[in-house]
Amino acid sequence: MEHHAYPSLKDRILAEYRIYLLALLFVIIADKIGKFQIPLGPGTFILFPIFYSLIMGVLSGPQAAKIIRSKEVKAASKLVIVAICPFIAKLGINAGASIETVISAGPALLLQEFGNLGTIFLAMPVALLLGLKREAIGATHSINRETNLALITDMYGPDSPETRGSLSIYVVGGMVGTIYFGFMVSVIASLGLFHPYALGMSSGVGAGIMMASATASLTELYPSMAEEISALASASETISGIDGIYMAIFLGLPLCNWMYKKLEPVLGRSSSKAEASGK
Amino acid sequence: MRYIEWAFLFLLSGLGIGLANYVGFHVSFGESLPGILILLAIAFAGVIVSRLVPLRLPIVAYVSIIGLLTASPLSPCREFVIEAAGKINFTAPLTMVGAYAGMSISDQVKTFAKQGWKMILIGIFVMTGTFVMSAIIAQTTLSLTGAI
Repeated sequence: MEHHAYPSLKDRILAEYRIYLLALLFVIIADKIGKFQIPLGPGTFILFPIFYSLIMGVLSGPQAAKIIRSKEVKAASKLVIVAICPFIAKLGINAGASIETVISAGPALLLQEFGNLGTIFLAMPVALLLGLKREAIGATHSINRETNLALITDMYGPDSPETRGSLSIYVVGGMVGTIYFGFMVSVIASLGLFHPYALGMSSGVGAGIMMASATASLTELYPSMAEEISALASASETISGIDGIYMAIFLGLPLCNWMYKKLEPVLGRSSSKAEASGK
Repeated sequence: MRYIEWAFLFLLSGLGIGLANYVGFHVSFGESLPGILILLAIAFAGVIVSRLVPLRLPIVAYVSIIGLLTASPLSPCREFVIEAAGKINFTAPLTMVGAYAGMSISDQVKTFAKQGWKMILIGIFVMTGTFVMSAIIAQTTLSLTGAI
């Protein structure tokens, strides 16, 4: 039997109508403001309506303006998946329209999936230098979206240091990930090292909203290749959505544990010394 | 969720897309309508298929694959689908996603503030590392296979 959150559609609407109205209002305000490009350092900070609606959403919550209550916060998290489906459909259509590009990029699409393990090589040493212990494993094993947090909680237990680390990065990613991803991608694009196709497929990291933000920036920077970029992002995101959890279980976490064993005695000790001398 | 709940929530998302496309890009509701209906139909088909197929994949994976098939050369309505969806601006479906996503994390503001600079820095490295290593592999493979 399937578990239903509400006894009927009517009950759902009665419980959630304030979320719907607020969301539609935020859409009107955010799209009225529109898009802005701000040159910043080597990149371009492109502000999209999704950023404003996201910020308005956060501000409307129980820890700021208190317009929506904790119960509605829980309900809203189930609505994100509903709202992102039409966007994913749109990207799927782009992928179908540019199917030749997607097929010719096939080998690259599959291999770049392993790049999602790049977080471990870059972020694990940083986490250890900053003095994290087992938290580092949860924090740096993947991009840490919902499925990864659930996996870590399941494997290590809800009170474990690994889960604390995973939860921290989950919260950080939720708050700053969408905006940071858009900006980071434009900075990396400005380096001129990567073909827009490579950047497009790298956007599919297994977090829909981050992929959306990155792809929006890229299509703005390379309008003539917009369709191919979003097609590759869509294909890569779909593959990540399917392989992400297996990647974490069979490659990410073993690699994390191995690196932790090797690096912690080296990097970890020096940071605890620094802490001791600081006291 | 029941199908009727999915249908209602998708229609609401469709309204959000229409609003964003009109307010932000001055595309009238009538002009957006076919594209919106196609996106919603594909999304709904994705939900149905995810329940019928015993393979447990994320709903978005099914939605994406169905979207690809309807616009692929195999599809009899390819031209129509591509043209109608083309009327929907790329970022128009995203504003509503942002609104819901913002609300859904609005009870984490204090937790976020408590993380301190270390976790924010590590988070930045996590996101950057994931993207950059994918880009390096993608660039190398695309060059080696002569795709670019």
